[in-house]
Amino acid sequence: MITEIAPTAEPVVTRPARPGKRRRAWDEVPRWQIYLPLGIYLLFTLVPFYWILLFAVRPAGSTSLLPWPATSEHFQKVWTERSFGTYFTNSVYVGVATLVLTTVVALAGGYALARFDFRLKRGFMLALLCSQFVPGALLLVPLFQIFANLRMINSLGSVVVAETVFQLPLSMILISGFIRNVPYSLEEAAWVDGCNRLTAFRIVVLPMLRPGLVAVGSFAFVHAWNHFLFALMFLSDQSKQTIPVGLNTLMSSDSVDLGALAAGGIIAAVPVVIVFAFIQKWLITGFSAGAVKG
Amino acid sequence: MKSSIRRSRRAAVAVALGSVLALTATACGDDGSGSAGDKGNEGSGKGTITFWDNNGGVRTDVWKQIIADFEKQNPGIKVEYVGIPAASAQSKYDTAIQGGGLPDVGGVGTAMLAEVAVQGALEPLDSRLAKSSLKSKLNQKLLDNSRAAGGGDQLYQIPTSSNNGVLWYRTDLFEKAGLDAPTTWTKFYQAADKLTDKGKNEFGFTIRGGEGSIAPALDAAYSQSGITSFWNGDKTTVNDPKNVAALEKYVALYKKDTPSADVNNDFTKMVAQWDSGTIGMLSHNLGSYQDHLKALGADRFRGLPNPTQDDGTRVQISNPVDGLSVFKSSKNKAAAWKFVEFALSHEENSKFNESAGQIPANTEAASDAWVQRAEPTKLAAEALNGAGTKIVQLPYYLPDWNTISKADNEPNFQKVLLGKMTAKEFLDTLADQLDKAQADWKKNH
Repeated sequence: MITEIAPTAEPVVTRPARPGKRRRAWDEVPRWQIYLPLGIYLLFTLVPFYWILLFAVRPAGSTSLLPWPATSEHFQKVWTERSFGTYFTNSVYVGVATLVLTTVVALAGGYALARFDFRLKRGFMLALLCSQFVPGALLLVPLFQIFANLRMINSLGSVVVAETVFQLPLSMILISGFIRNVPYSLEEAAWVDGCNRLTAFRIVVLPMLRPGLVAVGSFAFVHAWNHFLFALMFLSDQSKQTIPVGLNTLMSSDSVDLGALAAGGIIAAVPVVIVFAFIQKWLITGFSAGAVKG
Repeated sequence: MKSSIRRSRRAAVAVALGSVLALTATACGDDGSGSAGDKGNEGSGKGTITFWDNNGGVRTDVWKQIIADFEKQNPGIKVEYVGIPAASAQSKYDTAIQGGGLPDVGGVGTAMLAEVAVQGALEPLDSRLAKSSLKSKLNQKLLDNSRAAGGGDQLYQIPTSSNNGVLWYRTDLFEKAGLDAPTTWTKFYQAADKLTDKGKNEFGFTIRGGEGSIAPALDAAYSQSGITSFWNGDKTTVNDPKNVAALEKYVALYKKDTPSADVNNDFTKMVAQWDSGTIGMLSHNLGSYQDHLKALGADRFRGLPNPTQDDGTRVQISNPVDGLSVFKSSKNKAAAWKFVEFALSHEENSKFNESAGQIPANTEAASDAWVQRAEPTKLAAEALNGAGTKIVQLPYYLPDWNTISKADNEPNFQKVLLGKMTAKEFLDTLADQLDKAQADWKKNH
């Protein structure tokens, strides 16, 4: 039997600390104590990226430590000769489709977890969490057989479905946390005004979930974008492969074209970096809200 | 409010329809049929066959050329090429054996042949080869390797090419230091010492301490000890005192004449640092020739077969042999075999190996002009086929060989380099595992 969860009291709003005090505390810290550790951290983080950039743009055989004279030969090679243009399109398709499916299904499941009580709910939540500990490689054979029966082998749909299934548990738990943070009374007020549950959810709850949706959606996209195993196993046709598989084909058993590999790595990283640059504010808000208040 | 309800319903229907359409649009794949239990059939010798390249990417272009030539000569057969990253080929085969989706024909190297064959996925090829014009044209040593790697009873792989250990060395650094080419182990150790100047970040040698470290370590041990057989009855010779002493000498180079980061060296890191740094020698194989050529140019390096003993005795371990296998589950084995025969023909095998920089299995291809021009390949072929060369056959036929030589013992070799384990302890552990695996294998054969 499913019962709705009774409305809880409004969360107590704590008074934020006075901005003036925060500023004084900030002013008291010598700048070097902030910038020096940050600088060292940035150095450690950025040096590998610089190295990749160096290999990608300097001509083959060059040992220069500066990316000059620069060449685009490696990018041209991977994009045209190594079919990265096709891989890129396929990865975008898989990433976006996984994002959409994961977000839509996680919203529905998360809402049910947050707003309804049903038998074995705790067990279900526990099962969701436990599913995160099962490595994808263990499920490859059964998944392969399922997709084979559905005639979905060598179809991008198989990768989208597999990625979505593996993303859903964490996404549902996160989204349910966000939904619990939205006061139930707001939904009730919408019902009093004549909305049904779906409309109230769409008009009242959904706009307040934006940080959570960004967090879950970006997490799903990045995971699907980077994931190698499912694409390798379920797709055979070269025209359907994705970027991670393409990157691996740049390394043979005893030879590796480092320039092409670095250029391929940059092509693979750029969309993720751009996505994060645009959404980082919402992402941090989203994760902290879901984690702390959930 | 009614209009709001209608909008909500429309939205719900749109979401549901969108999801269904998205999945329908993408669900136009196939059923991936063909697993290990499937016995397949001869087929008509025409139609479409699937070919899995176990070293996809770098060799994609040359395989596509060979496929185009084949389709031109056999208009009734179409070959679908699937390039698989080398590092994942074994996983892809294993999944397909269990779940279905095996190809008609595929690249299977000797390193993974036993594991694939033992699962009953491969078609024995002895009778097909006996009737084929290829019979007298393939290198007998490589055929023997292929047969041994598959378990010894039947031939599951037709070799396309062989690799061989090569000691790459920087001719410019050797000339500057007044050193002879490192043709013997004595010259090798002298050069490693003389070329090392840690203060200037210059080293004599780079050792493979990470993934893939066991084969080069065993090659160095057997080559110095002069022991010519991997087995002495049912016991391995790997921990023979002579091999222990040879390995101790070899690992003593670590940090003395090599960079300390070498403990994590897989071939990628090792080749990259040799190509871009100041390191005198690198022990790898023919496969990295093109990388060195691009990075250093033809005049600054040479590739020799691994060093001999001072009296010229050459002992080396057997190198992985690449080859093609027909899968038992194929519904068109006749066409699959035609493709194997075509790929092993003189012209095509020559084309493939020139591109891969390896030693052709077709003896006519091995005499082609490009082999004579490519010095490392020519010298490697001479070393491999030389009458005086003694080859220690590694037990690729043991289904546990990959596990023993990789997951079980690569971390132990790192411990030896770091001084946390002695060479003797390492080789004793390895010997114990190999003896047990051999005993298990003998029970079933």
